[in-house]
Amino acid sequence: MWVKLVLLVLFGLMILGAVHFVRPRESKEPSSPAIIVHSLRLLTWNIGYAELEDDTRAHDKDLPAVAEVIMRQDPDAVALQELTGGSQLNILLDLLHGKYHGAVAQQGRGDRFEAVLVKDASATFMPVAVGARYAVAASFKPRKDTHEVLLLSAHADAFSAARRRTYTEALIDWAQARARSSEVFIAGDFNFELKAANETNLYTDNLKHDSESYSHILRQFRDLGREAGDTAINDRRIDYIFGPTALEQIGRVTVLRNAAVGRMDHWPLFVEVSY
Amino acid sequence: MFTLLKLELEKLFRAKSFYLSFLVLIAFVALMLWGFYTYAARKTGGAAVEQFKYTYESKQYFNGLTFSLYSLLFSFTLLLPIFVSMTAGSQIAGEARAGTLRMICTRPISRASLILSKFLVTGLHAGLLMTFFIGLNLIVGLIFVGWGNLELYPGPLNLVDSPGKIMRDDALLRFGYAAMSGTWALLVIAAVALLCSVVFDSPVQAIVMTIAAYLTLYIVGRIEFFEHLRPYFFTTDMDFWRDVFKPVIPWQSLWHYACVCGAYTTGFLLTTIIVFERKDIVT
Repeated sequence: MWVKLVLLVLFGLMILGAVHFVRPRESKEPSSPAIIVHSLRLLTWNIGYAELEDDTRAHDKDLPAVAEVIMRQDPDAVALQELTGGSQLNILLDLLHGKYHGAVAQQGRGDRFEAVLVKDASATFMPVAVGARYAVAASFKPRKDTHEVLLLSAHADAFSAARRRTYTEALIDWAQARARSSEVFIAGDFNFELKAANETNLYTDNLKHDSESYSHILRQFRDLGREAGDTAINDRRIDYIFGPTALEQIGRVTVLRNAAVGRMDHWPLFVEVSY
Repeated sequence: MFTLLKLELEKLFRAKSFYLSFLVLIAFVALMLWGFYTYAARKTGGAAVEQFKYTYESKQYFNGLTFSLYSLLFSFTLLLPIFVSMTAGSQIAGEARAGTLRMICTRPISRASLILSKFLVTGLHAGLLMTFFIGLNLIVGLIFVGWGNLELYPGPLNLVDSPGKIMRDDALLRFGYAAMSGTWALLVIAAVALLCSVVFDSPVQAIVMTIAAYLTLYIVGRIEFFEHLRPYFFTTDMDFWRDVFKPVIPWQSLWHYACVCGAYTTGFLLTTIIVFERKDIVT
């Protein structure tokens, strides 16, 4: 009888212990500090559609909604991915009532384009050749009295982790060379699959390539959206904004999960920092 | 109780399967060493270096502690639960198959004490397996791979969100913690296997049922279709033991899952005793 009693007491203690040391809830919403920082606001958004659609690039009919999100959040600069080209950017700029200026990347092998929008009218835009792909960067000043900021809009390969790694290496080399003269921010859809728990294999080359890519970026930059959670459907955090490691403060960091329209599979990531 | 324990320990040390489990672990370490060596050679030279400009997989990364961590994480998922199931699954069903269960139960000991002593011996086996395996990996790693700090990267092994490092001495301490947390997690399997051993009269059936239940929950827990069911599987809670390898140990979460595993273990053990006390032993 004493054995059963001891086990029963132990069982009760274990239950009590489990309740006492309850696992901290993983917040779906970002744990943003209350500090509001106005120095620099950035937003990145892959406005393309999920893979099941015939055309997975951005759709013109969604652009008013995209413009509305941008106007409401009022970022200093925006990195967009999966546009169909310059004409789509022009529609979007019109919808933004001339508040933003922008450029799309040159066409690489793919059929979709990265774009960058900035408020600063004196901004300069530059294409960034990254292997067979192109990214686009904008150099601007959020305010007259601030340092120059360089925002890079990037989109890494969705299907090959090895290609993502090569792309990331070239992109970081480019960004690092400019980090001496400007505050460099890299925003975009990197497609890193780093949740090993979702992999059916214990160890795969793909996982390791993404790990290498992400770790390489973190040697020079800081992942500003880490606390904000998933940025795409199926619990994926694949959109990032990387910034300088020596930022003064990080303010609001949030994934705008109600912003997607149509069959979009990504949500915009918004960060507010002072540097 | 002490006499019972002594008898059970004698049985454990006489069993061939006890020594077989250690031999298989030695073979696994040898296999891991070969795999690790060839992988490290490939990744620190030749095509890998030509294809990519930057890599953390340097000679500094591939050291004895990294080797031990990979070996331990890979084996814990599949290898160690099998041996624990084998020992626990044959405890009662093995006696029934050998025709000694009736005789044991006619002795003036309670059935609860018998179950408890058999469970404690199984727990000791699990602890010895973990400690031996960790010790062997560290020794082999030190001799054949070399010493260094334990570097961790996001993605593989799913331990960290950003690159981290555990200094050598601290890492050795973490392996000590892992021996304890791993044994505690394996006790859940031991308790399930003991329950199966009481329910089934054949040790093979008990062992196979335990491994099948473990693998089913483990695999189902990895399929996205059943993501919402994952928190209710004991295999998910058992994973807590790895948290001791995080640069900053999440103590609260670790204690929570340790208690959940403890609740599973004691719950299964209580059920086993209740079932065994009502069991009509006809063999």
